[in-house]
Amino acid sequence: MNDRITVEELAELMKKAAGITVAPEELQQQYDTGFDSLGIDSLGLLGIVGELENRYGAPMPTDAERCKTPRQFLDLVNSALPAGA
Amino acid sequence: MSEPHPRRAAVTGIGVVAPNGTSTESFWKSTQEGISVLDRVTREGCEHLPLRVAGEVRDFEPTAAIEERYLVQTDRFTHFAMAAADLALDDARLGQADTGEAPFSVGVVTAAGSGGGEFGQRELQQLWGKGSRFVGPYQSIAWFYAASTGQISIRRGFKGPCSVVAADEAGGLDALAHAARAVRRGTDVIVAGATEAPLAPYSVVCQLGYPELSTGDDPARAYRPFTEGACGFVPAEGGAMFVVEEAASARERGARVRATLVGHAATFTGASRWKESREGLAQAIRGALDEAGLAPEEIDVVFADALGVPEADRAEALAITDALGAHGRRVPVTAPKTGIGRSFCAAPVLDAAAAVLAMEHGLIPPTPNVFDICHDLDLVTVRARAAEPRTALVLGRGLMGSNSALVLRHGAADAS
Repeated sequence: MNDRITVEELAELMKKAAGITVAPEELQQQYDTGFDSLGIDSLGLLGIVGELENRYGAPMPTDAERCKTPRQFLDLVNSALPAGA
Repeated sequence: MSEPHPRRAAVTGIGVVAPNGTSTESFWKSTQEGISVLDRVTREGCEHLPLRVAGEVRDFEPTAAIEERYLVQTDRFTHFAMAAADLALDDARLGQADTGEAPFSVGVVTAAGSGGGEFGQRELQQLWGKGSRFVGPYQSIAWFYAASTGQISIRRGFKGPCSVVAADEAGGLDALAHAARAVRRGTDVIVAGATEAPLAPYSVVCQLGYPELSTGDDPARAYRPFTEGACGFVPAEGGAMFVVEEAASARERGARVRATLVGHAATFTGASRWKESREGLAQAIRGALDEAGLAPEEIDVVFADALGVPEADRAEALAITDALGAHGRRVPVTAPKTGIGRSFCAAPVLDAAAAVLAMEHGLIPPTPNVFDICHDLDLVTVRARAAEPRTALVLGRGLMGSNSALVLRHGAADAS
């Protein structure tokens, strides 16, 4: 497992938890696009956060499910992961 | 009413997802031919349960009908509802462009009795198998009776009045009546109906406590209302959605008025008190006729509730003659649901769809698997009967005590 949550993993979780298919390269280009425009609602993002917490065995920052864009989200959740884990 | 042109509620679209067909055309073909599709339960996890026969929807492919983002957050009963709503809107020729122009004038009304059992079971297994952190957030909305109304309105962008009838089986008719009232009050279009998916193992176990449930293992004999062999009802999944809109404006936009919803009444007589349902059902029929301004003799066909429990069948047969008088013994009565099972709230909505189709085709569909009637009714059996029904009465009763009656008129009868 990577020690950072990548855009690939986010794309995979968007499909699994919210049924939204976006290729990682495309998601990279839409880094600052709102989750709502991508088709992810608040429960979808909550599901992604839950999946990450189960995978990494660590709680995510409480504001994670309030992030508006992929960039905000990845910056926040990665800041919470212990470096070099 | 003193208004010169009272608003009338018309059915301009019908969408069906049923055990005997996942389109209105295939449903009608099978229904009018009197084909029974009741069969042994094959749903995974149900093999060891005492329910042997059901009406399963086997040729529905959710991924072909619904976008994945809606599939992941909804149960099978909502998949049926979204697909049936699409079919009904297509039938009414109401596209995204039409409804998108006036989103506040389109609403949704559904009824549901069993909710999202399959989705709920999966998430509860996560809860007890792995822990609360493994329950997905969509569980909060997917199991809920209101899910189909909400998801249809979100998916299609409808922002008009939305509601859910939380009742028992009779609720399907109440949802159509609620839609008719909303249209009469001023809403342009209501997408209304009911779908159910009560055949997940958890949902089946919930039904095992109903004394009315048939556990017969012969598909040809498990559900035979109005006969000496009546041994309860066979459950089913699926349902139907209607597009209900104001008759005059529907005609103005060139839509086909397939039928009008002209009368409805509902009563309550208590859970499993079938003897008492006689008076409740008769009162509902009288109320529906009264609202429709019709005499008993004007009813051309009755779609019976047909529970398949001797006491309930007797009460229904008596209620029909109590309310319709001597005409009640002469009017053709049918119960096509003996060929597909009872899909709870959706069962009387499928009957309403069959009633519209019967009026359009001049053909009263038969009651599959039912032969020797032990009640004083003219039950249509074996094959469809040619007739010219202009007015249909659809009856529904629920295990929890609701009784409803809905009167529909043929679209052409309304125009004349």
